[in-house]
Amino acid sequence: MSMKYITPAETFKKYLPKDYVELVDYGPFGKSQEEAGPGNMGQFKELLEEHPMCSGCWMAYFIRVIFAALPNPEETVTLGTAGCGRLAISQAAVPFIYGNYGDQNAMASGLTRAFRLRFPEKHKDVITIAGDGGTMDIGFSMTMHSWIRGEKFTTIMLDNEVYGNTGGQESGMSPQGAVLKMAPEGKKFGKMPATDLAKAAGCVYIVRLSPTNIKKAAQIIRRAIFVAREVGPTFIHAYTSCNIEYSIPTEEVFKDAKEKEKGRFSFDEYMTDAAREVIERVEAEEKAARKARKEAMKAGAM
Amino acid sequence: MYYVAKVDSDKCADYKCNMCTLYCPEANTLMFDKENNTSWVDEDRCKGCALCVYVCTDLLDRSCITMEMAQAQEA
Ligand SMILES: Cc1ncc(C[n+]2csc(CCOP(=O)(O)OP(=O)(O)O)c2C)c(N)n1
Ligand code: SF4
Ligand code: SF4
Ligand code: SF4
Repeated sequence: MSMKYITPAETFKKYLPKDYVELVDYGPFGKSQEEAGPGNMGQFKELLEEHPMCSGCWMAYFIRVIFAALPNPEETVTLGTAGCGRLAISQAAVPFIYGNYGDQNAMASGLTRAFRLRFPEKHKDVITIAGDGGTMDIGFSMTMHSWIRGEKFTTIMLDNEVYGNTGGQESGMSPQGAVLKMAPEGKKFGKMPATDLAKAAGCVYIVRLSPTNIKKAAQIIRRAIFVAREVGPTFIHAYTSCNIEYSIPTEEVFKDAKEKEKGRFSFDEYMTDAAREVIERVEAEEKAARKARKEAMKAGAM
Repeated sequence: MYYVAKVDSDKCADYKCNMCTLYCPEANTLMFDKENNTSWVDEDRCKGCALCVYVCTDLLDRSCITMEMAQAQEA
């Protein structure tokens, strides 16, 4: 998409669905993060819409953050696969591609290349968002090959440490000993070292986090997207609990995410020198733009 | 019947904080009214998880949100 496709002709506006018009008028398209970003969610129309994920699902919460953090939603495409997350991702006002199980990174490789040929003058952001089963088990070979080949897009793994959507099978990302509905004796081997694998395969920006601090989480999502535009594959490994399969009372979901942050989801950020250069440049530009906007507002108020 | 979150607007307006709205797993549900400085809940969209209660009560010690039975509305 682009801004041109999103903006309706004035004469047709009154015939369009209310949700769509609200999205164009009060949504984040074409706006800065201060106008419509994670810091003021609840004050603009979000790209994400009503979804069927469970009550209190921390994965749904993190997906909400991903969409609010997008640097350029009108020029973004997301790809996903079977699993809980796609139930919400497919309900957002950003084109979403859904293929066969686990092939999201293979599709994204082709799409990224095609975009670069077709639109050499602009950045089209490509992001795969899938569960731990989709990314590290069934889609493992395609995830690894996209990284090894240096494909320039962002991979986000929503790690709930289980196959949530199909009722509780263990995944490669479940911790050792995890007792699940379909692993009643406890998982026999350990959690796959996803971020180490990403590093060995050549990802240039890698973060493991439990998204308890929304501003930090948003900054990381943006960094991963900016670096993928210019340098190479980027990977975010986020803890997004499944309160159903791990029996976490919904009111304690946040507390659980904080506990995990002290354990196996301790914050870890890795970047190559080339990635650091991009981050420093883009963040300095953003800071200057914020300052300019503030000054313009002050001048306008006087 | 099921529970939904309710914000005590008078209490909430004292804090001008907009924190709970950042942590709801539902989109366009727990909103913030900037003019009146209060958050409010679109009851039709709330799934009753009480994550917002954790933020307002346990994290911030402000206790402005309670879980209450959803009222059936006249069509
Ligand atoms: C080829 C194929 N095999 C199996 C399935 C069934 N299936 C649907 S979702 C899923 C696993 C989901 O686990 P994960 O990727 O961890 O995501 P979650 O639901 O936990 O978010 C499976 C095995 C499928 N859709 N396609
Ligand atoms: S099954 Fe688990 S991960 Fe899936 S929507 Fe429900 S709580 Fe979220
Ligand atoms: S966290 Fe509490 S005080 Fe803050 S906006 Fe929400 S209801 Fe109001
Ligand atoms: S109870 Fe859950 S769904 Fe309802 S407003 Fe609070 S955080 Fe959102």
